[in-house]
Amino acid sequence: MKKKVAYVLVDSLKEMKTIIPAFFIATLIGVILEIYLPIEIAYAVLRGNPFLSILIATIIGIILPIPRYATYPIAFSLFQKGASIGVVFALISGEVIIGSPDRDVMEFKYFGWKAFTSRLVLCTAFIVVGGFVAEVLL
Amino acid sequence: MIVDILLLTLERFLGYLPVLLVAIVAAKVLSLYMSEDRIGVFLKARTLKKRNIVEASLLGLISPGPLAAYLPLLKVLQSGGLPLSIVATFITSQTLVGPIRAFLEVDVFGPVFFAFRVVASFIIAIGIGMCFQIFSKQITPKVNNSRQR
Repeated sequence: MKKKVAYVLVDSLKEMKTIIPAFFIATLIGVILEIYLPIEIAYAVLRGNPFLSILIATIIGIILPIPRYATYPIAFSLFQKGASIGVVFALISGEVIIGSPDRDVMEFKYFGWKAFTSRLVLCTAFIVVGGFVAEVLL
Repeated sequence: MIVDILLLTLERFLGYLPVLLVAIVAAKVLSLYMSEDRIGVFLKARTLKKRNIVEASLLGLISPGPLAAYLPLLKVLQSGGLPLSIVATFITSQTLVGPIRAFLEVDVFGPVFFAFRVVASFIIAIGIGMCFQIFSKQITPKVNNSRQR
């Protein structure tokens, strides 16, 4: 039992060392976006054509070079700025592929470029559809 | 202005921090009971049946930790005959939801959004697995074709 508690504590502390700074930076980016992103641009991109805004959010989510959990402060800021729930869904779910270089290189190397690109294309398509469903249902 | 930005960042960050800390510890506790080896044993038992895509999706949803930790194991299993469709399903659902994300998501966007995302992620991963199953001949690397059969 003691060993397990020690493992949890030590490993949690190790994880916090990487997660907390990344999360702080993501929160800072979110706040900067919230303050500096002109409301007209935010509305045009995030509240305009739903298909386009969900597609853009999915692509941003996919290429955003930050850890998955760090997307939340940014998504929250965009939500405050007027982004729809479908856009938030697409942005958060877009983190499913690309974004962590070590993970992507491993996946590419282990399962081949065809599997990697297929997953990339399929994820993009499914997430866009999911964004629409979120828009309608939530 | 910079001071305002930093203060707002700090205020918001401190708001997230308790949830983040609980999430990290909860993920570690979960990893005690859901180790990579256990997941490997479970996945190894899977065959080509369609329902195994559903199980792989479910397993991915509850697996803690970064995906990178599971990839070498998945590669070994795939070389040993685990279909790429199951690998793709597991990878997709594992990255879509996770313990740390769960806590943050409920805190930031509420339980309804989280529940929707869990269900959607489960379905998306299954959909991707099914597409991989349909196009397995085109997608699977040629070296592993003989083993897959």
